[in-house]
Amino acid sequence: MSNQHRIFQNALVAAVGMLFAAPMLYLLLLSFAEGWTFPHLFPPRVSAGLWETMWGREQGLVGGLLLSILLSVVVAVGSTSVGFLAARYVSYHRWRRGLLFLSYIPFVMSPVVLGACIHVVFIRLGLVGTVAGVVIAQLMFALGFAVIFFVSFWNAERKSLEEAARMLGATTPQTYSRVLLPISRQPLLLCFLQTFLFSWFQYGLTLIIGGGKITTLPVLVYLYTGEANIYYAAGASILLMLPPLVMLWGNRAMAVRFGR
Amino acid sequence: MSSKSNLDRAGFLLFLLLAILPMAAGLLYAASYSVGLAGLLSEGFTWEYWGRPFQEGNQIFASFAFSLGVALAATAITLLVALLLVLTVRRSLDSGLLAHLSTIPLALPGTVLAFVILQWCSGSGIAARAAYALGLLQTPAQFPGIVNDQYGVGIIIAQVMVGVPFFALLFTQLWHSQRISQLMELAQTIGATRAQRAMRVAVPLLLHRAFPTVMLHLVAVIGVYEVPLLLGVQSPQMISVLTMRNYAMFDLQQKPEAFICAILYTLLSLLLIAIAWRRMHRMDHEQSA
Repeated sequence: MSNQHRIFQNALVAAVGMLFAAPMLYLLLLSFAEGWTFPHLFPPRVSAGLWETMWGREQGLVGGLLLSILLSVVVAVGSTSVGFLAARYVSYHRWRRGLLFLSYIPFVMSPVVLGACIHVVFIRLGLVGTVAGVVIAQLMFALGFAVIFFVSFWNAERKSLEEAARMLGATTPQTYSRVLLPISRQPLLLCFLQTFLFSWFQYGLTLIIGGGKITTLPVLVYLYTGEANIYYAAGASILLMLPPLVMLWGNRAMAVRFGR
Repeated sequence: MSSKSNLDRAGFLLFLLLAILPMAAGLLYAASYSVGLAGLLSEGFTWEYWGRPFQEGNQIFASFAFSLGVALAATAITLLVALLLVLTVRRSLDSGLLAHLSTIPLALPGTVLAFVILQWCSGSGIAARAAYALGLLQTPAQFPGIVNDQYGVGIIIAQVMVGVPFFALLFTQLWHSQRISQLMELAQTIGATRAQRAMRVAVPLLLHRAFPTVMLHLVAVIGVYEVPLLLGVQSPQMISVLTMRNYAMFDLQQKPEAFICAILYTLLSLLLIAIAWRRMHRMDHEQSA
């Protein structure tokens, strides 16, 4: 590789890296800025005032953060555990292809469009405007992903392991607890992270089924943006981005290990 | 332990109860509503509502065309940039700082993404301020409208921003799994130039393997909601925004149109999913053969 080519590559890597990091850097800067309006290219004043007042005065933010964590954990635990078992059923079923195709529908389609269709079903069941309703609606979509994720896990190799355990006299609970679960830890954690993120990012579906009463962090970001409260929107956005970033970095490290 | 235990059956039953049944019930209700068999307006079976999309001034087909156009443009630009990145800086994407930085846009929820693009690209945003600092404009009004615009430029920018790192990482993984480096070396030994190796070996192979994901990405972008809600215009609207607008209106006459949008969107999505599905199975056969 020539010297010129190396310089070009390094410059390109730096530029691409800056572009990727730009949203996070901008939001951080905005959350510390004061009076940052047109035509200032950089904040005229910086202070940590927002981060000091945001928690105290805006009770909604703490509540939104806790509610988002609760919702995402429940959705992730529910969809990962049910998806793990359902995928095993689908994998060994004679209609495997058809059942798997069904799973792709909630996984890929717009939660808002399907949300509008299921809204009336949820009204009839008294679930609109409740945390349980939002959890069930989000589970509908997260489960589709979880089943697709685990179907490839239940392959011939796993089946032969199960058969070996059975031949040695293991019962179903023993096969799960001593054979299947120990080898499934990493995929279970990966699926948990992905479904957690799906729930953590949800805005439209939460808004429809929550009926405006379930104020999660994405709902708050949109509220602040609508009120032109850009500094609070930036602060809430950072809170919204931090857990996914930590998880994605962890996920990446795990996926590399899992891949090997 | 039988091949399908009671635990698995229970899991599958829950999957049916929580995911498939509500979805089927919702779509059935939408279909019934659109032909006058359900809802407060119900007066018996009628095709009247299905005639509305063909009436002059109705937004449904314009909205579909707009959504498809935005999704195709965003996906094409995303693939082009991601391919260029993987061809030029693949090693940095594979490991090192760029690999970590590439996950930042993936951690952007739709609401945050839309907020950032609005702050960067609006008339008084960062881009306009940079243009002002360079003496290219004097007032925010002189900045060209690239958010809340007729052509969905802001929506496309937002989708490209999250799509590029996703596809760059996917292509990097495919590069390893498909052993493209070895194939490129082989092409070099028979005299292929750098451009020929890229255009005739790497790009076709990457696009071929990524095709199902590209189709699923297209479905996802067609149905995107948060981004066009903040960065779009009143007309034309992306299909999910139009569906929600019609659904949430106080005028009950608009509700059947919301369900018509939902059904047409579902049919389009099913078609695209089926195309992706067929290709996935063909690739599975190719791999096992």
